[in-house]
Amino acid sequence: MKKWLWIVGLITVALGVGISLSRPKSQPVQAQLEVLPALEGEFRRAEGARLFSFPSDHGAHPDYQTEWWYYTGNLIAEDGRLFGFQLTFFRRGLVPLTERVTRESKWATDQIYMAHFALSRISDRRFDAFERFSRGAAGLAGTRVDPLYQVWLENWQVTQTATDEYHLFAAENGITLDLALEDTKGPILQGIDGYSQKGPDPGNASYYYSQSRLALQGRLIVEGEGLDVNGEGWMDHEFGTSTLSEGQVGWDWFALQLSDGSELMVYTIRGVEGDVDPFSRGIIVRPDGSTILLRYEDFVIKVTDTWKSPHTLVVYPAGWIIEAPGEDLTLQVMPRMADQELRLSFTYWEGSVEINGERAGEIISGQGYAELTGYAQSLQGRF
Amino acid sequence: MSWSASFLSAGILNVSVRYLWRHRLQSLLMVVGVALGVALLVAIDLANVSARRSFELSVETVTGRATHQLVSADPRGIDESVYVNLRVQGIGVPVAPVLLDFVTAPRMEGRALQLMGIDPVADAPFRSYLNLNGQVPLEQLVSFLTRPGAVFIAREMAEQYALDIGQTLEVEVGGKRRELWIAGILKPKDTLSRRALDGLLLADIATAQELTGRLGKLDRIDLILPPDPRFIRSFEMQLPPGVRLEGAATRSASLDQMTAAFRLNLTALSMLALIVGVFLIYNTMTFAVVQRRELFGTLRCLGVTRREIFVIVVGEAFLVGILGSFFGIVSGVILGRQTVQMVAQTINDLYFTTTVQSVSLPAESLVKGMVVGVITTMLAAVLPAWEAASVPPRAALLRSGLEARSRRAIGLVTVFGLVAISSGYGLFSLPAGGLPAGFAGTFLVVLGFALLSALLMVIFLKISVYPLGRLFSFVGRMAPRSLINSLSRTAVAVAALMVAVAVTIAVNLMIDSFRYTVTLWLEATLQGDIYISAPTLTATVPSQPVAREVVDVVEDLPAASRVNYSRSITVDSSRGAVRLSAISNERIGWERLYLKRFVPIEETWQALQEGQILVSEPLARRADLMTNDSVLRLFTPQGWQTFHVAGIYFDYASSEGAILMSMDVYQKLWQDDAVTAIDLRLRQGVDANQTAQDLQKKLGNVQELLIRPNRILRAAVMEVFDRTFAITAALRFLATVVAFIGVLNALLLQQMERRWEVGVLRALGLTGKQLWQLAMLETGLMGLSAGLLAAPTGYVLALVLIYVINQRSFGWTLQLLPQPETFYQALIISLTAALLAGLFPAWRMSRLQASQLIRNE
Repeated sequence: MKKWLWIVGLITVALGVGISLSRPKSQPVQAQLEVLPALEGEFRRAEGARLFSFPSDHGAHPDYQTEWWYYTGNLIAEDGRLFGFQLTFFRRGLVPLTERVTRESKWATDQIYMAHFALSRISDRRFDAFERFSRGAAGLAGTRVDPLYQVWLENWQVTQTATDEYHLFAAENGITLDLALEDTKGPILQGIDGYSQKGPDPGNASYYYSQSRLALQGRLIVEGEGLDVNGEGWMDHEFGTSTLSEGQVGWDWFALQLSDGSELMVYTIRGVEGDVDPFSRGIIVRPDGSTILLRYEDFVIKVTDTWKSPHTLVVYPAGWIIEAPGEDLTLQVMPRMADQELRLSFTYWEGSVEINGERAGEIISGQGYAELTGYAQSLQGRF
Repeated sequence: MSWSASFLSAGILNVSVRYLWRHRLQSLLMVVGVALGVALLVAIDLANVSARRSFELSVETVTGRATHQLVSADPRGIDESVYVNLRVQGIGVPVAPVLLDFVTAPRMEGRALQLMGIDPVADAPFRSYLNLNGQVPLEQLVSFLTRPGAVFIAREMAEQYALDIGQTLEVEVGGKRRELWIAGILKPKDTLSRRALDGLLLADIATAQELTGRLGKLDRIDLILPPDPRFIRSFEMQLPPGVRLEGAATRSASLDQMTAAFRLNLTALSMLALIVGVFLIYNTMTFAVVQRRELFGTLRCLGVTRREIFVIVVGEAFLVGILGSFFGIVSGVILGRQTVQMVAQTINDLYFTTTVQSVSLPAESLVKGMVVGVITTMLAAVLPAWEAASVPPRAALLRSGLEARSRRAIGLVTVFGLVAISSGYGLFSLPAGGLPAGFAGTFLVVLGFALLSALLMVIFLKISVYPLGRLFSFVGRMAPRSLINSLSRTAVAVAALMVAVAVTIAVNLMIDSFRYTVTLWLEATLQGDIYISAPTLTATVPSQPVAREVVDVVEDLPAASRVNYSRSITVDSSRGAVRLSAISNERIGWERLYLKRFVPIEETWQALQEGQILVSEPLARRADLMTNDSVLRLFTPQGWQTFHVAGIYFDYASSEGAILMSMDVYQKLWQDDAVTAIDLRLRQGVDANQTAQDLQKKLGNVQELLIRPNRILRAAVMEVFDRTFAITAALRFLATVVAFIGVLNALLLQQMERRWEVGVLRALGLTGKQLWQLAMLETGLMGLSAGLLAAPTGYVLALVLIYVINQRSFGWTLQLLPQPETFYQALIISLTAALLAGLFPAWRMSRLQASQLIRNE
């Protein structure tokens, strides 16, 4: 009797286990993708000077493969707390001009937009960065210029409201930034009339202009707390095809707004070995908006400190002396906080910096933004 | 104690195994009985589980991790601007557009494929098959996004149809030919993914819009919302009218619900086969006990307890159950190949399209078969085991004592039978009983009739003594009496055969009635001369719009005296999704059969024009719309609207329910002038076939169309009907096979048991021919009584199936059509089965020598 019960029991248990094992677990459907390599074809390349006209050149240039609109700025709240922000729109064309076809659906596109939104809460030592992707179609993301310029990815957007006035809005995860921008100097053409050569091949270049001093005023909401803020911002708009040459992995870029009403932009293009490329350039914008181009030999950047990201273990420079002997300018540039590393679909450091220095014996100060790319992975081929 | 217990247990096991082995034929028949029942159960369960699983997988593939969906009342889909606005206003939660459609590929034998349009950039939080390590591989999506007609397909499909990246594939979308371009191949990471992706064509949302011609539209918007009712409520408040938020599980649950009754019916039918099998086990086990009464008596003398005797018998049943279930599962799986196909076909015909084809063997079906097989076998053995345990230790009672007892028990059995029938009837009249009570009642009624059969058989046999005596002299008188004398065996066998045959009769009557009803219904409903629609994948209702050009051509057709249009869509009602057909037929009052009318026949159209609706019988039953003042709420592009019910019409096209609405009312509310079906009334003397051919020639280039004269359409509908009942017919046949084996078994045992008696008869001088006659008469009488008893039982069962089970499962009222052939057939089946079953024992009996037979004693 007992034996039978045992056997029956065992079988029942075994069946029970069988049933429970056989129930499909709720797991996602997963697959890997195999495709043909993308079509080879030609995008237009930035070769030589072009004529800029605004607001139409604020918009997208889909003949070129990549393009970005970079808004950065430093803000101070009514209670004295300091903030830095970055709102960047990237555009990438998927299909060369020659391969494009007309299609019926409004969703059809060969343009992909990506945007990064970051907020540095300097006083709280907090840094948040967000990323979005979208197709550049169906009204989800894109640019328009008629009658005025707008660039947007969903509800992250910059909209021109008058000739020199813009409205910037971005919101994500409890952080809302709502700013009025006033361009005090007008578009500043970088390089030679906006043609910014980045390598020995004239096509390894971009078209590049900046709005080097944007007066900012608006409201920032963080974690339910609303703050009136004001400050100064910088805008870069750059487009081209295969901007970086082979062997160039990234760049260090500084946009510095000085207390004497001038701005300094410098970038160095770095090679695989950490060497600085001779196509590194800079510009000085005088208070009246006139500019001085700085060539490779016109400035020196010395790294005074480094910071190792605890998240990625990537080592970034974290303090610089920038000298432009021709201008009798020496600036000490320090990150306002160390951890302003964006760990998104690519990893880079972009953050608020403060400046102390002197020009011709006069003490000057300032603030700005620095961008350090290519430390975590090479950007060659992406830009 | 423990030592002796285990010693005895080992001995007991030996007793059982040896007994079963010595009586191999008998054991084999038991095993076959269980195996057949289990095989049917498993085959049906496999079909049900596979159908459900493939449906779940299809749903899972397209739903992914969405918690909610936005859907539109507009049959053309939700406007894409709803999605764009959500994005641009910064909804702050994952949201993705989805466009779904079914396409067929001529190259794949017209197989239905699920075209799924997504935005790969927005889709990552929902479905992971484009999402490599959390990142969207834009570089790999270039041609997917930018090339017209680009799709990704799963590797299995690519291999099956020899498709490779860069090749084109021609498909039909809504009757129009389109060319797809294979942009990539999805390699599933596991078998579940492999099945889920089977039959899927993944496309960019732009491509999907272009392929389906549904520019500006989405099917739904997927969302992952936080489980915060306040958030959800405030989100709902912001939705435009005609757009609704629903839980992602809601829709699939309601689809699952749709087929639940269908699947339950199949299961119940397969259970009937098992019940016949149980009769068989009971019969055989009782015999096995009777055979060993002396042995059990001896064992009791040796100190074996009653409990242990009980365990011996139940243990034997357990062994038989295990073996039988094992073989049952194996044959069930083989049989399942057919049933899976049939069930899938029916579900595709009647309910929805599933594209997932390959489904694994669900282990739970196999486990279920084993558990049910073993347990029912053991339960069937409980009574004989109890009987064995009650054998007094001294000596075994004589068989004659047992038989005398069973004859006395007839009265009790008959009372039980009457009680079972009346409680079954009582269950049917329970107001809130529903389908489960319906099945329980059916079971009780069947059981009751089986119990009654003992008395009725005795009466029948007693009556037959005289005429048989006249025909076959003393052998003719002997046969019925000997059957009465071994009543404990014969009654069970006859009951089993009777139940099986009654099931055959009932199912036959039900199918005939159903067919008859559908014919009547088609006659009343299909009054057009020519019907035009675009081909769709489900067989019952056209849902694909007919091209505008087609409507224009038909409008001006000189041969037509009248043209009716209809537009069929699925609409959400307060009682779940229902089919809505907007119609322009002013004579609708006459061109349907009505269960109830709440307005006079000549005012029906007027009532519809004023915004009332007609509802189908299943919907009226389900949604409780049987009274004059009933209203139904429907979700329209203008939001929820209330409609008065003007009448209830018979409809056998859908069990979930259908609504008829005036075309004018529909177009005003839905702002949709699409047409899904056209029916033409031709002028006197115009040839429908010729006109249909002409139209086909004229319109064939515009769109792939079904242009069918009335007769052809009716035939097509009946074809679907027959296809739907193919599985029922197959089950009916298999139940008969089980019954046949049951009878064979019972008769074999009965005859084997009587070896000694036969020997004596032989010694007394009966010839081989007379013995042959005796055996054939006995089995023939059993078959005849089963067949005769099956007629009333089958009739009652048919009534139950038609008026209880069908109505509760599907909401359909069928017109009963009792065809006499059904009863003749049943009688012939049972007689043939019985006579065939009698052949072998008769042959053996007539061959054996008297000395051989008696010597065994």
